[in-house]
Amino acid sequence: MRPPQDSVVSRRWFLDRMAWVTTAAAGGAAVLPGTAWGRETTREYLRDMPEPRPLQVLDDLTELTLAETVSLVRRGTVTPEELVRAHVARIERYDHAYQAYAARPSLDALLETAGTEPTDGDRAALRGVCLAPKDNVYTSDLLTEGGSLVYEGFQPDYDATVVATMRAAGGLVVGKAQMGNLAGGRAQVYGTTTPTTRNAWTPDDVEYSPAGSSSGTGTAVAARMAVAGLGTQTGGSVVGPGNAQGLTCIKPTFGRISLHGVIPLSYTRDHIGPMARTALDAAILLQVLAHPDPNDPRTLGLPPAPNYVQAATPFPGDRPAVRWPTRIGIAPGWLEPEDERVAELRRSFVRELEAMGNVRVVGEVTLPEQWEELTSPPLGGSHGDPTAFFIEPLRRDVRLFGDRLPRFLNGMLQSADTYVKVQQARMLLLHRIQTQLFNQCDVLLTQGSGAFDGTGMPVLCMPIGFGTEPRTGKTVPRGVNLAAPPFGEERLFAVAAAWQARTDHHTVRPEDPVG
Amino acid sequence: MTKRQVPAPTDEELDVYIRTRYALLGVDISVLPESDPDAPMDQERLLANGRSILRQDIVAADFEIDPQFNLPVPHPAPFIAWTDEVER
Repeated sequence: MRPPQDSVVSRRWFLDRMAWVTTAAAGGAAVLPGTAWGRETTREYLRDMPEPRPLQVLDDLTELTLAETVSLVRRGTVTPEELVRAHVARIERYDHAYQAYAARPSLDALLETAGTEPTDGDRAALRGVCLAPKDNVYTSDLLTEGGSLVYEGFQPDYDATVVATMRAAGGLVVGKAQMGNLAGGRAQVYGTTTPTTRNAWTPDDVEYSPAGSSSGTGTAVAARMAVAGLGTQTGGSVVGPGNAQGLTCIKPTFGRISLHGVIPLSYTRDHIGPMARTALDAAILLQVLAHPDPNDPRTLGLPPAPNYVQAATPFPGDRPAVRWPTRIGIAPGWLEPEDERVAELRRSFVRELEAMGNVRVVGEVTLPEQWEELTSPPLGGSHGDPTAFFIEPLRRDVRLFGDRLPRFLNGMLQSADTYVKVQQARMLLLHRIQTQLFNQCDVLLTQGSGAFDGTGMPVLCMPIGFGTEPRTGKTVPRGVNLAAPPFGEERLFAVAAAWQARTDHHTVRPEDPVG
Repeated sequence: MTKRQVPAPTDEELDVYIRTRYALLGVDISVLPESDPDAPMDQERLLANGRSILRQDIVAADFEIDPQFNLPVPHPAPFIAWTDEVER
């Protein structure tokens, strides 16, 4: 079996650096496995997916996962039109309570698209899959307002690369998902601090946050008003809503997915992240989207995307096992959160991991030197990034930015020498994470994602159980973040797939809103 | 050699600097209320944030990093692929 991509990255880097540092003789260079990544097509990868559940066991078509949708549409068991009708009916019945969508196409327009053969052909990877991209992703047929007065009424005349790719693959955009103001915080009425989108688990409680900034995508997917969606993450904005709503999401390595046609927050930290209900669903969406885009040079010159679908498919055997031998480390303090119920969930999760095949939990890791300085502002931040792109609306009227104004003015104050130092520190942090953290483990359980957002490393979130929301006593999902070295998505999917083969937290559906 | 001690600027001095910097670039913050906790944003909070950003420059300046071995890299993860630290 070939190794996961991250092991080649880390091993090569580590060996090269150690050879250089010690000036050791170079005899007997390591023989690294050959790479066949990217040669197969997504379509071929999808042939080996697990069997879908029989339709008879499902209440309605909106309960189908992305993987099941793809399989059943290919077999002709369900049609894209039936899927569209089911999702639109649910949206029209419940979105007045959830407030997940900012804009939607008409049912007729969706049905017409659903009945048309996708550009990629009748075996297209996402045929019939109803999707909810965040409202900072350009759509040529729907307004793209970025949750903000700054973009109110903005109608792009082209699709973002990710939208064009999903549509070519037969994906159906059933709506644009509400989001925090210019990709910060939870979704609000534009220009105010009045929240809109509800957490799918507490639709009648505006106070319990869906988290942000990809609030609407998280709610739409959790509430079965979309099969999957796209969020964006500059500082936790995919995994935050994912964990708050019981989803499995992946923020991939920077550059894996094109950002062309996405309203920027930071040119250096923005990521597109698939948001879904299972690891396999997130992997399929990443598989479709992870390719070079000439319009975004940051996606060029990377190793070809490996077979994420296989990585996210449960590994056969007597008991659930991770596909590759994997050391799992724990960030200091992660097992001791303030909430004792969360602490117990985490301890239980670790015990379950230890019982899985191919896993070695190495315990609490030692963080790299100067961790605090390198991961905290200013060195661990991106304060100056958003200003340049927004000069025109800043001059027009600063009130358009609402409570997010400081973030967009900071670039006028942060000095160039600090900005350079931030970028030096970011690269230093990446090297230290590689050599001083991921030398202890292959996957890290961690509370926050900031260090991995700034360095562009992959992070996956998934549910590990449920807790009680203290104010209302309602049951809400609890999740975990798993981080890996650059190009370590396969490893993350493999751990998540093994976990989800062993548990059913990810299949639990929130109750419908009352009324 | 000991560092030359320069008196730290006051909040008032920094506020003048911040307002001047915004005005220089054509940004008018006077349209915001001076102080209104119920408004989405007011000048008082904006200036406090600005002072914080300016003072963070001191933290960055004080952070010692070897300039010969640590180049500024905007995109660290893809950079290691572009420099062939990742096998293709």
